[in-house]
Amino acid sequence: MSLSRDGSPPVPPRRTVSVVLFVVVVLVAAGCAVAVTAAYYALRPSSGPANASEKTITVTDDLGRKVTVPLDPSRLAVLSPSIMDIVYRLGLRSHVVGVDCYAAALGGLTEDYSPDQIALWNLSPSMCVQIGPSFDPETLVNVTPDLVLASTIVSVAAVEEITNTLGIPVVMLQPPTLSGILVDVSLVAAIFGVPVAAQALNGELSEELYNATEVDQSVASFPTVLVTYSVDSNGYWTFGPSTFGESLTEIAGGTSISANATTPYPELSPAQVLVANPDWIVYGVGFGLNESTYAGGPLWSDFSAVKDGNLSGIDSNWLTEPDPTMILEGIPALLEVLHPGTS
Amino acid sequence: MAEDPRRPTSWLLGRASLGLLLAVASILVLVISPLLGSVAIPARDVFQILLHELSGGALFAQPCAGTPTSPRLCGAYTVIVWQLLLPEIVLALIVGAALGVSGGALQGIFRNPLADPFLLGISSGGTIGAAVLYVYRIEVAEADVYLPLFAFLGSVATGLVILGIARGRFSSVETLLLAGVALANLLSAILSVILLYNPNGSVQVTFWLLGGLGLATWTVDGIAFGAVVVLGSLLVLNGRELNLIQLGSEVAQSAGVDSRRVRLRVILLASMTTAVAVAFTGIIGFVGLVSPHIVRRLAGSDYRVVLPGAALVGAVFLLGARDISFLAFPGSDLPIGIFTAFAGVPFFLYLLYRQRRAVTMGGA
Amino acid sequence: MKGGTAGPCLRLQSVSVHYGERVAVNDLSLSVDPGEFVALTGPNGSGKTTVLRAVLGFHDPAQGSIELFGRPTADLSARERALKVAWVPQTESPRDNVRLYDYVLYGRFPFHGPLDAETQEDHAVVRRVLKEVGLADRSEDGVLSLSGGERQRAILARALAQSTPLLLLDEPTTHLDIGHQLDLLDRVRSLSRTRRVAVVAALHDLNLAARFADRIVVLSHGRRVADGTPSGVLSEELLARVWGVVADLELDRRTGLPYLVPRELSVDRPRSPTSPFVGPVHVVGGGGAATPILRALADEGYRLTAGVLHLLDSDQETAASLALPTALESPFAPIGPKARSQNRLLLEAARAIVVAPFAVGPSNLANLEDVRPFVPRVPTFLFRTPPIQERDFCDGRGEVAWRDLVAAGATEVDGFDGMSEGLGRLFSSPPATPPAARVAPAS
Repeated sequence: MSLSRDGSPPVPPRRTVSVVLFVVVVLVAAGCAVAVTAAYYALRPSSGPANASEKTITVTDDLGRKVTVPLDPSRLAVLSPSIMDIVYRLGLRSHVVGVDCYAAALGGLTEDYSPDQIALWNLSPSMCVQIGPSFDPETLVNVTPDLVLASTIVSVAAVEEITNTLGIPVVMLQPPTLSGILVDVSLVAAIFGVPVAAQALNGELSEELYNATEVDQSVASFPTVLVTYSVDSNGYWTFGPSTFGESLTEIAGGTSISANATTPYPELSPAQVLVANPDWIVYGVGFGLNESTYAGGPLWSDFSAVKDGNLSGIDSNWLTEPDPTMILEGIPALLEVLHPGTS
Repeated sequence: MAEDPRRPTSWLLGRASLGLLLAVASILVLVISPLLGSVAIPARDVFQILLHELSGGALFAQPCAGTPTSPRLCGAYTVIVWQLLLPEIVLALIVGAALGVSGGALQGIFRNPLADPFLLGISSGGTIGAAVLYVYRIEVAEADVYLPLFAFLGSVATGLVILGIARGRFSSVETLLLAGVALANLLSAILSVILLYNPNGSVQVTFWLLGGLGLATWTVDGIAFGAVVVLGSLLVLNGRELNLIQLGSEVAQSAGVDSRRVRLRVILLASMTTAVAVAFTGIIGFVGLVSPHIVRRLAGSDYRVVLPGAALVGAVFLLGARDISFLAFPGSDLPIGIFTAFAGVPFFLYLLYRQRRAVTMGGA
Repeated sequence: MKGGTAGPCLRLQSVSVHYGERVAVNDLSLSVDPGEFVALTGPNGSGKTTVLRAVLGFHDPAQGSIELFGRPTADLSARERALKVAWVPQTESPRDNVRLYDYVLYGRFPFHGPLDAETQEDHAVVRRVLKEVGLADRSEDGVLSLSGGERQRAILARALAQSTPLLLLDEPTTHLDIGHQLDLLDRVRSLSRTRRVAVVAALHDLNLAARFADRIVVLSHGRRVADGTPSGVLSEELLARVWGVVADLELDRRTGLPYLVPRELSVDRPRSPTSPFVGPVHVVGGGGAATPILRALADEGYRLTAGVLHLLDSDQETAASLALPTALESPFAPIGPKARSQNRLLLEAARAIVVAPFAVGPSNLANLEDVRPFVPRVPTFLFRTPPIQERDFCDGRGEVAWRDLVAAGATEVDGFDGMSEGLGRLFSSPPATPPAARVAPAS
């Protein structure tokens, strides 16, 4: 497809994959938008808002479950920060009455959300629905939701309990790929009848993905990079194949040194990092982690990327939460690190 | 030692063959250890780098010179071998020795072949100490200093609780041992609660729970070495007292051993020695249990021999466990505590079986 | 040899030792000179062993002072004490099969600091004492491979290796046959003569005491009731008064020493002066296992009952000689319902139950099972040596019954001391009141 210019190494086949990926993303997004808009107008209640809550819509969620949910529910429980991002960006914050909290009894909001997110989304511990260490149905009933949006961090048993025992519909949103985020945006928009907001948001997301693939085409080579999100005395936790962190690195024009790992979230020993000798190190910050945390990791100062100053910290949420922010903030941030001036 | 009384040659031969086996195992383990790690490095490079560094650059001025390894990769290998593998090997030896000698001393003082710092909860106490840090949300940047410190304090505190029970008036050896086992269970329950409500710290606390050599640096090795040499030597000096205590604390008392004071001293020293090990490597079970038994088989039950012997065997055993973990699962850095348990649990059951038989056969 | 020859080796002044509320040694004064062989004797529970244990520092006297070579024992460290006095316990159970030579070498402990190696002298002493106790040829063998008699001599050798001027022996001959008893005490006797080692031996066998000791001290209920040479002390009157036996005292024509031939128990057995209402304690036994327990408890003044015993069984004969209320069954017959209900009545009345280490067979398994409903309401003591597994002859059912009792709260004891201590604690507080007083109508 692309030419290998004088002396530069041949373009990695990965770039082709990126382009194909992008085309798929755009097609899926466009298809979703059309389908959702059509569904919305077909199902839109003809009479006034008093009737609205009695209308329902049947959707197919990311796990392939067909769920009948009330149209435009007024009380929504969101059991994952990434879904909360979609809900917020679609202007639906006022519907949210409950959010996930680890160990709700202890005010566990801070375990799931960064201080920025808590402030931006105006979350309070009174909204806590306890999903860990074990699901506590009382905390869910307490916020009296009409609908629950959840990801797979909520256990299958808990989902069944909410659906069958408590009789509250649960829609599972677990995008399999970056483009899946756009599908989820459309899905949420369909339930709440906000096709215009969805089109605007998906437009922004597509724009960012497109920009990134253009950069990929233009650069001579992909630098090798270690993207780590946590550290302990044994080594550096990073993203393996088929994870969002890995996709993000690739679309931002980098080659992850853990792309060939055997597990999705491997811990690389310092010896493995030394031998792979990445050009760049990108580390996730937030949730108590900062540069000095990583600097305390084993053999940190012996890595040539550290010696050369080729390292950068970015928000952990941008690397780990599969939501619009990952695309809108994470991709430009990584591009800026790996290919400055291109984002 | 003055003129040693004659010993029959069969006695010597039986032990010599086992001793030879141990010596061969030691050498094998020591040679093979630097070759095993999460990254496979050619043996020739490893030994050139080792000799280069150990000789201060005099030997093999250009390591990896005659091998296909590029100078850049050789630089990485040097860091790996010298700053990663070697401190880890040395730490394994130190910690193994610490666990071996304190296991031997506890078995002696409790007159029970099943006593072990792990079973008595001294190790679990260290994990609690590390976990407590997460309740107070200490800055993770300082964790390298505070975690070992808290783990050390947790172990010593547990040792003191056992001591408190030991000072009690109605403390037979059996009740003490049972109290220790109960304490260990209580501590693991407390730990579960802490982990349940502090999921952020669970990765680091799990390190203490499973045991590992990941914290090894030359500084850590230096601290551990100093502490273990001092505490271990003080323990070894109790060999004669422990010999007599095997005959019963009253007989020991009548022969001049202040049984109560020796009991307090040995439990305290053994707790502290274990605490040093736990501080840097977390819970590594069964080394303290198995090593003294191996020495008894090799060299009889004289505690003046059993204690230093258990240190030696413990060191080789732990390093061997590390090697086996790399051989069995190449490339992965599995917690070493898992492998000592794999070796230790069957041995433990075997001991239980033998003790049961001894109980039913003896008596009359 | 260390220690002054001027004063006495050992001096007790008005010493009292208490086990809880029970007075084991009562205002005892005693002095032992260098080279003297003193036999402490008296019935079971008279305080012989307790005196020795107090000297060794295992019990702190409630009153009085104990001096070793002029120094109060309270001021002595364990090591200093071990240089003055050595102990030969009744038994010793080494855990490891230590070489006999090393085992005896352990006795040299008080001579070494933590960093000292054994000296030539240590080895010389060990070889000498091994020769003296006649075990020189077994020095390379493990102690667990020694026979009972050899084991006892090994313990003696270990104590002798301490090279102390005073040696305490606690019933050293209990587990030995008559030949080994004579052999052991003969060796001690001659050592005491040749090396002027003072010996204090607790011996319950009067004939042995009379044969080897220079002096016999008779204790009864913790008090000294007689003290002097064997011929001066032993009398038919003393035997009747202290032991409650009618015996013929005769003179050995060869040695000129007295020896006694017991005839029967005297009718007016002395009872404990403390209380006539301590008990009743019900003893379950059979086949002779309960005999020593019945005798010891009777000595200590407990009111006793027994059952179910077979007629002509040696335990039954003991119970009869002590005139105890006993549930009986015909010889060799399985225990029938009549005997069992009798036994249950006795169990019902008991304030404590003692289960002797009897052999459990199909014919007397009921004895064990019938105790179960009374545990833990009635404090129950089980003798666990030898272990139940070795004397269970009904395919584990005895062991099951045993475990049931333990699970229900019965106390396992290792021997007389454990039982005495348990019963002592039980009956010491509140003060024993006759059962009748409890049912008396309030006025």
